[in-house]
Amino acid sequence: MFKKLVNRSTAKSPWIYHINAGSCNGCDIELVAVLTPRYDAERFGFKLAGTPRHADIVVVTGPVTAQSKDRLIRTLEQVPEPRVIVSLGSCPKSGNVFKGGYSIEGPLEKYVHVDVTVAGCAPKPEAVIAGLAQAAQLLKQKREAMKK
Amino acid sequence: MSFSFPFVREAVSQLFSKPSTERFPFVPKEAPERYRGRIIFHADRCINCGMCIRVCSPGAITKTVEKTEEGDKVTMSFDLTSCTFCETCADFCSKDSIEMSRDYAMVAQDSSELIVTGTFIKKPPVKKAVPPKPAPAEEAPAAPEASAAPEAPAPEDSAAPAPAPEEPAGAGPEAPKEA
Repeated sequence: MFKKLVNRSTAKSPWIYHINAGSCNGCDIELVAVLTPRYDAERFGFKLAGTPRHADIVVVTGPVTAQSKDRLIRTLEQVPEPRVIVSLGSCPKSGNVFKGGYSIEGPLEKYVHVDVTVAGCAPKPEAVIAGLAQAAQLLKQKREAMKK
Repeated sequence: MSFSFPFVREAVSQLFSKPSTERFPFVPKEAPERYRGRIIFHADRCINCGMCIRVCSPGAITKTVEKTEEGDKVTMSFDLTSCTFCETCADFCSKDSIEMSRDYAMVAQDSSELIVTGTFIKKPPVKKAVPPKPAPAEEAPAAPEASAAPEAPAPEDSAAPAPAPEEPAGAGPEAPKEA
């Protein structure tokens, strides 16, 4: 019964964890803007988690750089299943203008399966909310699939 | 009263004012004017000059050419997951075939949804008799351009005399810079 209660409450509060994999800070600012009172994603239960072990949704920004690659992989390994990986902005998906650079080890798809892609450079906060909403829906599906 | 409790008026007005939170998913929000969102490609206007590919800094635009009986079947594809939305391609497009829309919601689980493509058939130029006198004058400015961009003879086959002097003027100063 206790487990049921936990399951019901976690469904309505997908906690997000933000990884900056060498981003220019544009997408990071937009993601933080989503959590501020103006856009207030906490209405839908999104909360920035302090550690990857508490997270349900992982938001990755930036083209994966050589410095951040190992740390990114190590952090992603700590996120418990079910998890949803959101790539925010153009960089994690393709490298954007940095692609082909000597320090770029991207795209993110090489290391982990990306569930939701939000395009834009940087995406509008509304687009970020839409992406997170889709990620929460996907998380719900994954959780139900795990129960069976 | 306002002396002893200086913030009472503010507190009361805040009690009855609307929250500053935007009610986004329930009230749809439109992007501001001239917002650079999802690319719209008008394939019917494109002349396959390749200028957008040259100016695109992330290299998000790719072109595939397929030879068919009617002519070259050209497919331009704009990868929005690679785009910086700088609008340089739209600025450089002499035919205004690239347009940036105000659609900001570019969210997808399958990234192939975020690729904008357009296909058109480019017919080979129809050879016709050219008057002998203006022919060398036309050829001279076109020659350096032809070496820079292989698609340069496009204005000649469209048989429009008006845009022909425009295009070498636009691409002319560009060519020596590159070389």
